[in-house]
Amino acid sequence: MIKFTFYFFSIILIFAAMRLITVRNPVHAALFLVLSFFSSASIWLLLHAEFLAIALILVYVGAVMVLFLFVVMMLDINVTMIRDGFARYMPVATLVGVVILVEMGLVIFSHLPEVQPVVMAADVSNTKMLGQVLYTIYVYPFEIAAVILLVAMVAAIALTHIPRTRMKYQTPSHQVNVRRQDRVRLVKMPTEPKD
Amino acid sequence: MQNIYLTIVFAPLVGAVIAGLFGVGRRVAHTVTIAGVGISFALSAYAFYKLVFAGGEVFNETLYTWAVAGNVKLEVGFLVDSLTALMMVVVTFVSWMVHFYTIGYMRDDPGYQRFFSYISLFTFSMLMLVMSNNFLQLFFGWEAVGLVSYLLIGFWFTRETAIYANLKAFLVNRVGDFGFLLGIAAILMFFDSLNYTEVFAQVDVHKDTTMQIISGYDWSVMTVICILLFIGAMGKSAQVPLHVWLPDSMEGPTPISALIHAATMVTAGIFMVARMSPLFELSEVALSFVLVIGAITALFMGFLGLVQNDIKRVVAYSTLSQLGYMTVALGASAYAAGIFHLMTHAFFKALLFLGAGSVIIAMHHEQDMRKMGGLWKYMPITYITALIGSLALIGFPGFAGFFSKDAIIEAVHHADRAGATFAYYAVLFGVFITALYSFRMFFLVFHGKERMDEHTRSHLHEPSAVVTWPLIMLAIPSVFIGGLTIEALLYGEYFQNAIFVTPEHNFFNPADYHGVWGFVVHALGQPPVWLAGAGFGTAYYLYMSNTELPGRIKDKLEWLHGILVDKYGFDRFNEWFFAGGSRGIGSFLWQQGDAKIIDGGLVNGSAKTVNWFSGVIRHMQTGLLYHYAFSMILGLALLLGIFVLW
Amino acid sequence: MTLIELNMLMPEIILLSMASLILIIDAFLPDDLRDLTYQLSQGTLIGVGLVIFSTYPQQTELALHGMFVTDPMGATLKLFIVGIVFFTFLYSRSYLKERNFFKGEYFTLGLFATLGMLIMVSAHNMLVIYLGLELLSLSLYAMVAMHRDSQSATEAAMKYFVLGAIASGILLYGMSMLYGMTGTLDLNELSQSLSTLDEYHTALVFGLVFIVVGLAFKLGAVPFHMWVPDVYQGSPTSVTLFISSAPKLAAFAMVMRLLVDGMGHLHSDWQDMLILLSILSMAIGNIVAISQTNIKRMLAYSTISHVGFLLLGILTADKAGYAASMFYVVSYALMTLGGFGMILLLSRAGFEAENISDYKGLNERNSWFAFIMLILMLSMMGVPPMLGFWAKFSVVMQLINSGMLWLAIVAVLFAVIGAFYYLRIIWMMYFEKPEETAPIEDTMDMRVAVSANGLLVLGLGLMPHTLMTICLSAFSLV
Repeated sequence: MIKFTFYFFSIILIFAAMRLITVRNPVHAALFLVLSFFSSASIWLLLHAEFLAIALILVYVGAVMVLFLFVVMMLDINVTMIRDGFARYMPVATLVGVVILVEMGLVIFSHLPEVQPVVMAADVSNTKMLGQVLYTIYVYPFEIAAVILLVAMVAAIALTHIPRTRMKYQTPSHQVNVRRQDRVRLVKMPTEPKD
Repeated sequence: MQNIYLTIVFAPLVGAVIAGLFGVGRRVAHTVTIAGVGISFALSAYAFYKLVFAGGEVFNETLYTWAVAGNVKLEVGFLVDSLTALMMVVVTFVSWMVHFYTIGYMRDDPGYQRFFSYISLFTFSMLMLVMSNNFLQLFFGWEAVGLVSYLLIGFWFTRETAIYANLKAFLVNRVGDFGFLLGIAAILMFFDSLNYTEVFAQVDVHKDTTMQIISGYDWSVMTVICILLFIGAMGKSAQVPLHVWLPDSMEGPTPISALIHAATMVTAGIFMVARMSPLFELSEVALSFVLVIGAITALFMGFLGLVQNDIKRVVAYSTLSQLGYMTVALGASAYAAGIFHLMTHAFFKALLFLGAGSVIIAMHHEQDMRKMGGLWKYMPITYITALIGSLALIGFPGFAGFFSKDAIIEAVHHADRAGATFAYYAVLFGVFITALYSFRMFFLVFHGKERMDEHTRSHLHEPSAVVTWPLIMLAIPSVFIGGLTIEALLYGEYFQNAIFVTPEHNFFNPADYHGVWGFVVHALGQPPVWLAGAGFGTAYYLYMSNTELPGRIKDKLEWLHGILVDKYGFDRFNEWFFAGGSRGIGSFLWQQGDAKIIDGGLVNGSAKTVNWFSGVIRHMQTGLLYHYAFSMILGLALLLGIFVLW
Repeated sequence: MTLIELNMLMPEIILLSMASLILIIDAFLPDDLRDLTYQLSQGTLIGVGLVIFSTYPQQTELALHGMFVTDPMGATLKLFIVGIVFFTFLYSRSYLKERNFFKGEYFTLGLFATLGMLIMVSAHNMLVIYLGLELLSLSLYAMVAMHRDSQSATEAAMKYFVLGAIASGILLYGMSMLYGMTGTLDLNELSQSLSTLDEYHTALVFGLVFIVVGLAFKLGAVPFHMWVPDVYQGSPTSVTLFISSAPKLAAFAMVMRLLVDGMGHLHSDWQDMLILLSILSMAIGNIVAISQTNIKRMLAYSTISHVGFLLLGILTADKAGYAASMFYVVSYALMTLGGFGMILLLSRAGFEAENISDYKGLNERNSWFAFIMLILMLSMMGVPPMLGFWAKFSVVMQLINSGMLWLAIVAVLFAVIGAFYYLRIIWMMYFEKPEETAPIEDTMDMRVAVSANGLLVLGLGLMPHTLMTICLSAFSLV
């Protein structure tokens, strides 16, 4: 049963990933990405990694992907332009892709140590276990990650923030108090002579 | 003594720094540099006196240890023995004369101070080279004299030809230096030291060592080292086929042609081989190689002197040919004769160059001999000194060049080494050629019809005393130095501690020597003197009495003349093969690799318009990232392919 | 976590706290007091440098569950990083001011990048190495993009970001391969378990290739160098200066930690990879540099070739070789600092001294700066007695010592080819007529700093054993 579930989700995952890069519509592509996240979260669940699975869905599907969809919709990306050159690069890209795939395949199927998944007792909560190590053993990387987020924030603000002096904004009182002569100018012109 | 040696080396450097870096006036510039080199010369003469006549000790000490890496010590030190002392005196004396001469020659040049700074810097570098007691310092001096030489060839950098000549000298010397560096590296590898004394002390250990450069073939280490070192000497001393830069170096001002490209720097290769005589003596193959290269240079470069019309180029080819003679002497194990010729040549060739310079000043920087003639009555001092220089060059009995050249020819005659017979006939015939081109130039310039225009003729006069005085000063040793020193240098014990010759290679036996007059009388019965006379006679016939004939010969032998004017095609071959080839590779990489893939889309648009900017960049940007990312993936695939699956 | 462990982390803690503090202060500073940010940043760097110096470790010590390591090599590299960043800020100040983007973020992001470098240098765990690298890279991306009005800077940032992300992905993939094989991220444990896994050699090398590719990208070795010229040229010169100097030291540390500390067992495999990368880098770097007309781009290719030389020492896989490489990377950083410093010095608002022809006749305009530039160029060329000569000399010597004579010959050959483009600049400075005649606008601190930088290159070249001793003692060879 577990095997069947694994292959079921795996096939969906591979299918979704393939479609993600082949569909024309970027919105559809984003949705396929959501689907592939779901499938991989399910596979993680099979491994009893429920915290990771839920985090994946909450963070990626719930936040990141929604943001991504907004961006895609707002930018109105010209699909044909992106695909321009696709055919031209296709043969050579396929070749290199296949080469790498073959190389990876040869290594992975050749000779790898057999590792059995560690099976935890049913009442062990891996959320709790993560919490126990995150702030003790892994506190150093955790702090660094926090600094990275801070830098990301600083960078985002520094790159997009426009100082108040250059900002364009409305002043309602000016709009209300506007007079006719500020906006409209009547000009008297001679009529066009008839040719 | 240590302080004296330090002063000898650093006095010119101080002069160069003051003249070059402090923006001083002309008068100050030439005063400090002349004073610096003058001090240097005076102290060199004193050191020479102390060492040779007052029985002083050979000085060989390390003064400063720069760095120690493993068991390799990088040091600065001096080795002053009889060989070095001789070189020091010659270098500082000629340099000093050239300094004086420069005051007159460069009078109107805007780069006056710069020029003085360079030649003093050159003197410093040359002294570092000859006084070194280790290979590192030798290499430093070697590169430093090269650097100053490039700077001076390109001194008139507004001339296209000067820049071209400068580049050529640089590139050709890179080939030589590469060999030289490999030679030094090989010495370091096998001897584990860079100090001369330490290396020479171990030569017997490595006498029969072999190495495999291409696996399966054993090479004698000594042969490999010596040939590599000699390749360095070929670049610096302009031996075939690395000679191509020297004629072009005449683009530089004449004083440096005299100092650097005739008297001192180009002889550094000869000096170096003589200094390394303990190594060269162990390799018969290398000596044969030296001998043959020298012989080819001596003869074939002489031919080229026959067809040149530029007065400086004739002297330049003559220099090449004479350098060939010195190399032949080295190849015949007659190192002392090579150094002897080096010394006499330094005086008379500097004299000839400065004389040519004097003519050039008088002719308002006209160098074409076809526009000269009959100058003897306008500039008597130059005329007399040039005659002395030419006689010394062709080996007129009694003059300096006679002794040294005759000694070389005799030594080659008696050598029994592969190539010695060829070398003997080459240098012998070379004597005839030397006399022919020397007096061709002499007659064309000083005798015959006055072919210059009226304006130039009316201004012809002897240049000022700063020009003529060095000529006279150089003419004196050009006559006498040979007869005075031959006994000590060749047959005496002068070089006993400095140059090593295995007894069976040694030709100069004190018992064979019967005084200067004996040498002269003996020589009168030998072919060289008669060949020189024949050369002189031919020159007289062709350019004085039957002046129509040369033109007719030229027409008859058009093909031969063509080859000679083409300088045997070396330049064209180099240009086509090396220059063209590397340019091809460069432009291929540039256009295909860089221009198309990288530059094609990059924002190098400071010169382009804003429109071009937005349009092309927007369009190219996706392409670029594809390309960049793709190249990374490709690299990954290749690494995987090579290292994982191989 | 004990107090002693905290003590070992003191430089990082101080740097982080001060960077955050400066960030806050800067937000409330009016524009005319912006200099305060600069001064505080420089003060912080000096303080951090002093702390590193005063806690200089004598032997290797681990902390924080083996994730953090202090050793002489790390401390030395950290000192140089902090010092070089100090000089970078010094050079950048007037450049930024003249161009109206003297913003606090340049300095705060610079400090965070420095923090990233320090973390990389003393990381002893693949996760920490990766995080340190990301902290550094993210700060750098932002710094490149900071000049928002410049299209070239934006483009350079974009390329740098995308390619950097791909490289990070590749590196991470390699790390996860190794994690999958060994079940550990700790470098010590990794090193131990690798020696027991000989039968899975192919799979280990597979992971190794990915890691080497990630490292090669960071160093800018061919064929993963494509970003280097574009980013160097496109970025504002002050940022180019930043990217090209200190991070190379951190990248060197990363190579040492991952390949030597972590995967020393596989040295015969990475040795061959590095030989390949090194030859390609020396070849492409030196040859393509010849045809450049933009000096920043030329220096970019020169960097690529220097990376080739740098790898030569590492690939000997012995301690003396590592010391030679460390000497090389420090020398390189000093020289490149001076080179870009000179560009900054000669530039002014509205005129970037970016083209090689801008150096024509520099000697006539200002012979002192021409002299300093001469020293720097000769040093990059590898002419004795400059520092660069000793750097090249020591790696080539180590190659010969470990029996790779042919590679040493190849290296010397490329060094000779490389001499050409440096000579061209010397030529322009001394033998051409100036095209640009406006006087050089410089400030006192800038002039002193560039001069000191140039003279340092000359002085260390005259006394190379000082720096060499430091590098040797970093690997406890003295």
